[in-house]
Amino acid sequence: MEDQAMIELWKSYDKKLEENLVLNRKNTEDITKMKVQSFIASMKPIKIFTILVGLIWVGLVGTVVANLYIHAFEEVSKFFLFSATIQLLLTAAGIWIYLYQLIVIHQVDVSEPVLATQEKIARLKSSTLWMTRLLLLQLPVWTTFYLNENMFKNGNIWMYLVQFLVTGSFTYLAIWLFLNIKFENRDKKWFRMIFDGNEWNPVMKSMELLGEIEDLKNEKT
Amino acid sequence: MQKDAQTFLAIIEANKGIVYKIANSYCRNEENRKDLIQEIILQLWLSFPRYDEQYKLTTWMYRIALNVSISFYRKENRRDEIRQPLPDDLLLLHEEKNSGVLQMQVDQLYGFIKELREIDRAIMLLYLEENSQAEIAEILGLTATNISTKIARIKQQLKQKFLNLK
Repeated sequence: MEDQAMIELWKSYDKKLEENLVLNRKNTEDITKMKVQSFIASMKPIKIFTILVGLIWVGLVGTVVANLYIHAFEEVSKFFLFSATIQLLLTAAGIWIYLYQLIVIHQVDVSEPVLATQEKIARLKSSTLWMTRLLLLQLPVWTTFYLNENMFKNGNIWMYLVQFLVTGSFTYLAIWLFLNIKFENRDKKWFRMIFDGNEWNPVMKSMELLGEIEDLKNEKT
Repeated sequence: MQKDAQTFLAIIEANKGIVYKIANSYCRNEENRKDLIQEIILQLWLSFPRYDEQYKLTTWMYRIALNVSISFYRKENRRDEIRQPLPDDLLLLHEEKNSGVLQMQVDQLYGFIKELREIDRAIMLLYLEENSQAEIAEILGLTATNISTKIARIKQQLKQKFLNLK
């Protein structure tokens, strides 16, 4: 079909639509009376709640850990202390991501040019991947926080071996996933396996859209 | 311009085709399409007080309808997120099914447009609606030259798809 024929076809369809499309004024008027907030703004409360819970966690556990460093460094298990410190630092990083998301939510305006708005929304959604990376990076510390010197003094070769294998493999996996969970790997089989399922569809779709936007920007004219 | 409910209704009445055509291009399923139309009109209403009159009304409408269609719309949990049910059926299309060659060709064209990537789809829709390249550039936030190149490529793709039908 030629270019002009396509436009003509669209015009005839438009004419037919004009004749047959009816606006239900009553229902549309109902919308103007509703007290609803925009979809994007409705995401704010849960983000604010998570930031508050995160801050309370980091504040409370942080105070305990700081006190242990200052007053009981010699007595307390270093495994616990360092594991808790790493966990706290990663949680604090997570709070930063949520703050970033809140700022982006505040900046999104649907009446702005499509590309700019879509890029913001897509970046907002794909930043969820950063949360996953940080969450996975915490894995090894959950295999070390309960360790203490006595366990090593009284343990046998099997205990050392199992502990080493578990902590070693968790650390390797966590670092590998942290480095490799990124947009560029979205087509890899392992990536698709981890991020399979309906809840990840919006994130995956956002990443594809970001790819499309990048292509458009880089396209030579 | 007064930014009250009556003015808003008149604007939607005059431009209902824009809302319908964009929703139809981004949503195949009829039930979901109704929800999408509601979502677009709701977002238009929420944004109406901030409408900047230096832009054409249609530019403002296209931007919102496309932004909502491309990314906001998720059937699952949408109503939970808004926490309030919306009234049903805002736009009704009275048409006979299988109404001739025109409908068949339009369906084919729609089918091909729906196969395009999301931004490409927006470009093609705006082109078929006979917006100028400058207007398309303003709606999407790209340069007019970029739009021109893109349109040429998409038209070529569509032409090929029609040829393959024969």
